[in-house]
Amino acid sequence: MIEFLANWLAFTPVFAVPLLLATLGLIVNERAGVINLGAEGMMLCGALAGVACYIEFGESTAVGMTAAAFAGLLIAFLFAFVVVVLRADQVVTGITIVFFGAGLTGLIGLRWNDTAIAGFQKLDLGFLSQIPFFGKVVFAQDAMVYLTVPIAFGVWYFLFRTRAGLNLRAVGENPQAADAAGIAVDFYRFWAVAAGGALCGLAGGYLALAAAKIWVNEMTHGRGWIAIALVIFARWMPGRAVFGAILFGGIEALIPRIFAAGWPVPQYFLQMTPFLATLGVLVWVGLAGKRRSAAPGALGLPYVREDRW
Amino acid sequence: MPDRAAAPPAGAYRARRLGRLNLEVRQSIGRVRHAAFIAFGLGVGLAISVAILLAAGVEAANIFDEFVVLTFFDRLGLSSVLIECSPLILVGLSAAVAFRVNFWNIGIEGQFFWGAIGATVIAIFDVGPPATRIGLMLVFAIVGGFLWIVPPAIFKIKLGVNEVISTLLLNYVAYQFVLNQIYGAWQDPRDRFPHSEAFDAAERLPLLGWEKVHLGLVISLVAVAFVWWLMQRSRFGVYMRFVGANPHMALAAGIPVAMTIFLAVGLSGALSGAAGFVMGAAQEHRLTGTMAAGYGFSGIMIAFLARNNPVAVLIVAFMIGGLYAAGQSVKVFYSLPQALVSLIQAIVVMCVAASDFLVRYRVHWLRGDGR
Amino acid sequence: MTVALEMSDVSKEFDGNRALDSACFRAEYGRVQALLGENGAGKSSLMNVVCGLYAPDAGRIAVDGVPVSIDGPAHARALGIGMVHQHFKLVRPFTVAENVALANRLGGRWTDELARVAETVERYCGELGFELDPASRIDSISVAERQRVEIVKVLMSGARILILDEPTAVLTDDEADRLLAVVRGLAGRGAAVVLITHKLREVHDFADRVTIMRAGRTVADEDPKTLDDRRMTELMVGSAPRSAVAARSGGGRARLEIADLSAARDDGVAALAGVTLAVQEGEIYGVAGVGGNGQTELAEVLMGVRPALHGTVSLDGEDRTAAHPGERRKGGLGTVPSDRYLYGLTADLSVAENFGLAGLAAGRYGSWWVASARMRGDTEAAIADFEIQGGGPATRSRLLSGGNAQKLVLARELSGGAGILVAHSPTRGLDVRACAAVQSQLLEARDRGAAVLLISEDLDEVLDLSDRVGVLNRGRIVGEFARPADRHAVGRLMVGHA
Repeated sequence: MIEFLANWLAFTPVFAVPLLLATLGLIVNERAGVINLGAEGMMLCGALAGVACYIEFGESTAVGMTAAAFAGLLIAFLFAFVVVVLRADQVVTGITIVFFGAGLTGLIGLRWNDTAIAGFQKLDLGFLSQIPFFGKVVFAQDAMVYLTVPIAFGVWYFLFRTRAGLNLRAVGENPQAADAAGIAVDFYRFWAVAAGGALCGLAGGYLALAAAKIWVNEMTHGRGWIAIALVIFARWMPGRAVFGAILFGGIEALIPRIFAAGWPVPQYFLQMTPFLATLGVLVWVGLAGKRRSAAPGALGLPYVREDRW
Repeated sequence: MPDRAAAPPAGAYRARRLGRLNLEVRQSIGRVRHAAFIAFGLGVGLAISVAILLAAGVEAANIFDEFVVLTFFDRLGLSSVLIECSPLILVGLSAAVAFRVNFWNIGIEGQFFWGAIGATVIAIFDVGPPATRIGLMLVFAIVGGFLWIVPPAIFKIKLGVNEVISTLLLNYVAYQFVLNQIYGAWQDPRDRFPHSEAFDAAERLPLLGWEKVHLGLVISLVAVAFVWWLMQRSRFGVYMRFVGANPHMALAAGIPVAMTIFLAVGLSGALSGAAGFVMGAAQEHRLTGTMAAGYGFSGIMIAFLARNNPVAVLIVAFMIGGLYAAGQSVKVFYSLPQALVSLIQAIVVMCVAASDFLVRYRVHWLRGDGR
Repeated sequence: MTVALEMSDVSKEFDGNRALDSACFRAEYGRVQALLGENGAGKSSLMNVVCGLYAPDAGRIAVDGVPVSIDGPAHARALGIGMVHQHFKLVRPFTVAENVALANRLGGRWTDELARVAETVERYCGELGFELDPASRIDSISVAERQRVEIVKVLMSGARILILDEPTAVLTDDEADRLLAVVRGLAGRGAAVVLITHKLREVHDFADRVTIMRAGRTVADEDPKTLDDRRMTELMVGSAPRSAVAARSGGGRARLEIADLSAARDDGVAALAGVTLAVQEGEIYGVAGVGGNGQTELAEVLMGVRPALHGTVSLDGEDRTAAHPGERRKGGLGTVPSDRYLYGLTADLSVAENFGLAGLAAGRYGSWWVASARMRGDTEAAIADFEIQGGGPATRSRLLSGGNAQKLVLARELSGGAGILVAHSPTRGLDVRACAAVQSQLLEARDRGAAVLLISEDLDEVLDLSDRVGVLNRGRIVGEFARPADRHAVGRLMVGHA
């Protein structure tokens, strides 16, 4: 039992990190007032770019992850141009980005399809990794797991402890007020979307290089959407996002453990659980938080200075 | 506090050299100009799509042949367009009905699956006499699609749960359920492939007698007529417009807002279920794991391009049917993946969505100080 | 005196609607320049040009005698221009200090900077005689306090040209006088103050000079001492002011009865704490009060879009506390909401649909096949009856001007023969003519025997029209007056902390 628990907890970060990176990215997006439903598509592009560059450029995870972030960034530029500069409908455009990402990766990903890779390796931190139970759970993860901690802290610090973060949140809450205060609304929104896209790209890259260690079409399998739900669950707070990502990473990590343990549970029903759990969380938030929503005030609304409505 | 007449604050402001764009919100726009802007967006989208096809290795000379001549002006091609567009019309209507009340039904594929499941249950367990079998399959498909959208509808109305996410999550749940059936209890006993056993003759939609065009087309056309009446001519349609455009005002004016949303959304699920039925009973002749792939987004895109107008849905679905049919042949001849169809649709939608910019705003260039 | 701001021949169109038509304006240091005009005259548009929010189509602007082309709010701020907008530009979930910091950079490490901003806010408050806690959140402070935040924010940025857009609209008489005294003091210290208003009293008492605008043009720039009220009004509206209203005693059966009604705002804070009142047939019952004392919630509970937590609402003796808005309408209720495009109209649908909706819901146009020709005919009749200009039945209601949109709402609400009418700020934002038309419709409804509940933050309107006046303060009716109500007594109850 203890071994089962240790294995489960040791595998949780691999599933939690992509969810967390994407959720953090989306929090930055939404704090600036842009709802990004295209996370799934950005993650797919990140995943493919990660695997492709990993294979083509010397099997380096660093190169792969950088490429993944850039791929997410590029798609985010496209999204930002359409919704921030051209002020198109954010819901339609976001959904379209998902299928754009799926179509694009499906078309150019053929070369790298189903090629297994080594990807991220667990670090061996010497005696630390040897500590019973904790060593395996805490001190034998791959480098990206440890890197994600400062990223999460950095997002929080940026949003709540810097002037730029205050400006960004002001743009998301009340762009009219931000504009009158001399803050460049479009600038903040554009770069918030870009940063969010880069984080989504990283999430996809990690998924491919660490969790799956392979590229297959549509491999993100709904994780982008789970991340969008996690933003609501986290009430737009990076700290709560960490908690939510670990919770959902834990659920995902449990599925292969249960298979490995050979318990007689129907496989496909088990694979429904992350989605049903996400839905459950949304309903729970709906039941609990009906009174006051923590959503940014101008979420999803394009801003036009001379709009008199 | 300094005196108010003091020197101006340190001039930290650096004026823009070139200038900037200023947007003026249009209050209204002429029909011709509106159409021209959308046509412009459509044109840009198609141009990018053609460029992608060229880059993917399709010869320039063949693009027009493949996508226009052999698709729309060829007996066999046109018949396959009509076959492809039957389920597309239904999912397009499904999206249009939901979008009209401002409910983003992204779960069309899940409802599609449950429609197919409903039809399959009747077919593989041979429920009822053969003469009424196909009708019963349609009814069960409609009920299946309806039931699958009820939870998100209620969560949205009662708890304000974002329907984009909830309906989408249920797609994955429906998909896993289908896998459970076709890898389990319903697996075809004959070839052991992961799909259900083939439907009997009485469980398939009859052909209309022109190539392989089947009754599904008639079902779709009836659905267009019904939705047109409902949305454009009935009182419920007026309610839907108000609920979609301004639910606060609709409620204050005495409209049963929650019920209007529920019924419209339920109809949306039912139409998606019917699309699953057409796909199962007329094209695949069984339940498969891939039968719904792409129909969700196509439905959304058709409704978006048709501006939720049921008659326009018919036209757009016909065009997308052409894209599907041409996609099939391109897939065979150039070994390009199905993803291509998805990508082209996404590009076209994005360009049309972006062209809304020109419809909504008038753009001025304001010159800066320094030149 | 040196000229601070000089604008000449400034024009601005919004998609064909001319908001400014060769307007001219000047302000001098050390003086209070009033900008007078009725709603829609272009006062705010003109000043939005100055503060960089609107880019003018034509015209010249000079600040301190130097021609400038203002590139945006940041540029205006750098030129020493600061504006307190009528709709405050504050971020509600942020604290006072954070809001001030948004617009004012003191430099240095961010946490230190925020602390220094808070200190500076306190220092300014001390000098201005304001009381503000820099750490409190905007959504937890009163409207008057929010306005002080805006003033401090603008002054801290070093503004020497200070524009205040209808600053007293949300204040009680006392608060307004205190504020204007502060403003006068700022002018005394050398600032150029622009006071946008439509109240003549403020012009006489506080302004050194007045610019009057009508329909986007500047029609006068005078010393207010040389103009009497009559002349000023004439310049403002181009015609004589409205006449007095004939009183009428109610004294019939009560048609709308509200007993011990409580309700909460969206965030759960109590807004109504036991309102009790009754409106009889053939009378207008006016609810006076400072904005934010529960007016919106009262109107919403009566409309049926906000639940009552306690108490009852009866229409013609029948309890309708929990009824759906549709049932209330069947019971004879008509409502004129304060926010026309929230509860009154759907901007993107046609005039005919907006007008016909009430009749449609009541079953007048059929349900299986809507009799759209009949609906259009009825709409045309209403357009003629209520003198709705600027569009026909097929026009999108977004294109109607404020006054015509309000007439459309009234036409619909009165079309079903509503015997009970709840009107919340029915003339807000309307010009004088539209205002008079709306008010005369209310009076006509009263004379036909309707019970009219008029909820308004405009005390003059309440006193003019109402047969009885109730004062709403902190979610309670704290006093009732029969016509003629004593303006000062009403005012005292409005601000009393009973």
